Amino acid sequence: MEVFLKEIFGSRMTTDPFELEQYTKDIAYIPPILVRLLAKPWPRAVVQAEESREIACLMQWAFQKRIPVTVRGGGSSAYFNSVPVQEGIVLDMNHMQGVGAVHMAGKAEEPAVWVQAGTTWYDADERLRRQGYTLRSYPTSAPAATVGGWISLGGFGIGSIRYGPLREQILGVRAVTAGGEIAEVDNPGLKSEAEASAGGGGLCFDDFFGMEGTRAVITEAHLTVRPFPEKEAHRVLAFRDVRPTGRMIQELGQVSSVFNVHFSSPTFVAALHKKGYASELPQERYCLAVDLAGRQTEVEEALRTIRREVQVLGGEVLATEAGEAEWISRFKALRLKQTWPSLQAAELLLPVEHFAAFEEALTKLAKQKHTVVVTYAHLVSPETVLLMVLFPSDELNTLRYLGDLSFISRIYALGKLYGGKPYIIGLWNTSYLSDIYTSKELKRRWERKQRLDRPNILNPGKAYKAPFFLSRSVFRLGMGFLGMLCPFVRAGRESDA
Amino acid sequence: MPKTKTNLEERIAEASYVCGRCGSCRNVCPVYQEIKWESSSPRGKITLAKDVFLKHKHNKMTEFYTQRLLECTLCGKCEEICAAGIHTRGLWLDLRESLRETGRLHPNFRHLGEQIATTHNISATANEYRLDWTDDLDDFEVPQSKDGSEVAYFVGCVSSFYPQLADIPQSIVKILEQAPVKYTVLGGEEWCCGFPLISAGMSGEAQELARHNIEKVRALRVKTLITGCASCFHTWSQEYPLLLGKSKQDLGFEVLHVTEYFARLLQEKRLMPAGLSETVTYHDPCDLGRNSGVYEDPRVILQAIPGLDYVEMFHNRELADCCGGGGNLQMVDSGLSQAIAGRRVRAAVETGASILVSACQQCVQTLRDAARKEKLALEVMDVTELLWQVLDHETGGERNE
Ligand SMILES: Cc1cc2nc3c(=O)[nH]c(=O)nc-3n(C[C@H](O)[C@H](O)[C@H](O)COP(=O)(O)OP(=O)(O)OC[C@H]3O[C@@H](n4cnc5c(N)ncnc54)[C@H](O)[C@@H]3O)c2cc1C
Ligand code: SF4
Ligand code: SF4
Repeated sequence: MEVFLKEIFGSRMTTDPFELEQYTKDIAYIPPILVRLLAKPWPRAVVQAEESREIACLMQWAFQKRIPVTVRGGGSSAYFNSVPVQEGIVLDMNHMQGVGAVHMAGKAEEPAVWVQAGTTWYDADERLRRQGYTLRSYPTSAPAATVGGWISLGGFGIGSIRYGPLREQILGVRAVTAGGEIAEVDNPGLKSEAEASAGGGGLCFDDFFGMEGTRAVITEAHLTVRPFPEKEAHRVLAFRDVRPTGRMIQELGQVSSVFNVHFSSPTFVAALHKKGYASELPQERYCLAVDLAGRQTEVEEALRTIRREVQVLGGEVLATEAGEAEWISRFKALRLKQTWPSLQAAELLLPVEHFAAFEEALTKLAKQKHTVVVTYAHLVSPETVLLMVLFPSDELNTLRYLGDLSFISRIYALGKLYGGKPYIIGLWNTSYLSDIYTSKELKRRWERKQRLDRPNILNPGKAYKAPFFLSRSVFRLGMGFLGMLCPFVRAGRESDA
Repeated sequence: MPKTKTNLEERIAEASYVCGRCGSCRNVCPVYQEIKWESSSPRGKITLAKDVFLKHKHNKMTEFYTQRLLECTLCGKCEEICAAGIHTRGLWLDLRESLRETGRLHPNFRHLGEQIATTHNISATANEYRLDWTDDLDDFEVPQSKDGSEVAYFVGCVSSFYPQLADIPQSIVKILEQAPVKYTVLGGEEWCCGFPLISAGMSGEAQELARHNIEKVRALRVKTLITGCASCFHTWSQEYPLLLGKSKQDLGFEVLHVTEYFARLLQEKRLMPAGLSETVTYHDPCDLGRNSGVYEDPRVILQAIPGLDYVEMFHNRELADCCGGGGNLQMVDSGLSQAIAGRRVRAAVETGASILVSACQQCVQTLRDAARKEKLALEVMDVTELLWQVLDHETGGERNE
């Protein structure tokens, strides 16, 4: 293996355990006892690709030898998405960076650009700005997340409310199939008829979005972009109660210049205040940071509409500086860890109309569990919010940490009552597959995967089927058991609050 | 507060626990940009620090990890972008201190420590030769430890002992003469500010230097201390108060970088620049900009020069890229330092500038070498050199070609 990989990648391949260990982790801490039970995260080698041809050679060889390949971008995901579950090779995409020239393309003759998959969204935006353009949407992990990574996961973030899911902003993708074929696939919805062509390698456009690197390796994406807006404005709206906040979020979904809406719960703000952050936000208020972009007249009109609505709902619009400060710190949610270094989290897509009711129920649940929960959220479509629920835990106390895991399943169960579902699958959320997809959809997904990757070498163990210990019944039992640990560790929780 | 082993380890453990492993710091790190392996990224290094100091897996403090910890220019860009608000630069310094505490000091750092203990400067030359750079100044005597001066000029080791950079201190004193300003230098009484020792993880050794320097400057009863070196400035304004557990005000005089002082003189019309028709860009030294907060004054000086076409590099101010010359990296891996510098000069050329200006001798030297190696048509100079060349002095104010 080593000889073959060295031949293709030269010094861009390693089997040094010192280096390999770095690729056995993502952002979430998982107690080693659980990792040992469910995964073999140590790759046998890591390779860094510089061009599609190298990836094609790697995939042909891996396909033939049935060696798993896990694609890794920024490694900023949390569910073992880019960590191997069955050893094999990690394909590090971070050498493939670059942004082409903006040109007009697609049915609507929109500005678009080819971006290499290992480019971070932050860098892509920076390079676009040099050409007078900017991204339509990006995740709040933009400095870390790569273009290939976000296409392969949720694709919702800042700008989604205005421009829709990432899928709708991409004209085409260049990729390498599991069998090692180099392919280019167009978005049939966005291409003009003349441009639209049949996808290469048997791939179709939907084989990329949210597929967690299980169907192909993305090497480049053709992104639609926007000219730098004439006017941007940032405001923070504050409310005493969650119900009017929920109403306001719904209203904001209808305002045309709104580019981003970010919700912070009072507990989130309080935790930031503890460490001297977000001082511009008031205590004990539900805060909405609203960002607008567009023509000057449109933005001004939108601001007037928002002011009117805030007045009707009994809230207040804070001083402009608060909006600017929130915008500047939009990538810094992790400052919460200064207050609670060890956190656990559940991430949900939730119907906006049930957002306030869910928040109320969550607060009650937290009280019952003697813990504090913080939430923040983005409005990602007029109908949907992407909600992050976090609570303090303690990874230095394995018993408590394991006990707290059961609380995550309680949050998801609560979310389900309000029409919500987990956002990302990876390995750890495979237990919730049936909450996310119907059994028909699951079957179709698996058939498609088999058609494209029969030996199941691309990122095996994720996204399609739960391993035994995460299968629905075993998982429920496990969570029930872990839940029973909770009373023993309650004291720790109360001191967090 | 002295960095004892226990509070060092606690601080490292605490900071590493806060890290969310998000990787925002990865792509901006000049070292990661060159090495490209995860273990060379700030995130990779913190992950291991967490294992060693929080989880007490001391076997992970391997030789290779030690090497990785020193592959860092201390530029602070990771801190600027950190999604969790961690003071990463302080963490890197603490980690270096801990290497020293546990007998893992890099041999070149040890040698540097011995050198400074012997000569009180970073070179092997005796400290009484600190004013050798004044030898070519025929028109005036540079006053040394002169009573009644308003300003003390702290020259710094690099300016004092590297003849190829002598133009910088010479320009500074010529400008002071022209203004005119009642100034003095300390000559052989100036000791290394201690910055290279602090960067090496030897802050204990820097304390004696700090005490000596403060005492000598206080004895002059000046109102202001200026320095042309970004690292000396950072040390005087940020590190001395920390090292001695005092506030900046306790020093008894204000500390300014020469660019701050010269911007003031320009505003008071005590300096009158003549014209220059060149396109010029500015490199923010990490120790002056990100690590000390001075961004505008060098730009004020450049923009005060009539006819000068000022252009910004794309990465500027808080987000400026490092020149590769910081953090004692040259002593650990000079090739890596050069590669980082190469990127920066290429970025300067992209702006269309013919002159790249900085405000730090170390940056000027590193970038000048890089421009030469890359064979770029780019002149690299210090802002004080440029200012002196365009000042309306006896040569008529035009730039000497
Ligand atoms: C602070 C913070 C904020 C976040 N905010 C958001 C947000 O606003 N919205 C959101 O959706 N997520 C968010 N996330 C989660 C995560 O950052 C994103 O999902 C991101 O898109 C992951 O990108 P990555 O490059 O890090 O991918 P990785 O984590 O490396 O990989 C993610 C998945 O993509 C696959 N993959 C990576 N590159 C390729 C490729 N080139 N071809 C094929 N498959 C590939 C991997 O195999 C893996 O399954 C956030 C995370 C953090 C830490
Ligand atoms: S200080 Fe600079 S060189 Fe060091 S880790 Fe941070 S970004 Fe990298
Ligand atoms: S940006 Fe900060 S929190 Fe994120 S990996 Fe780097 S040091 Fe850790």
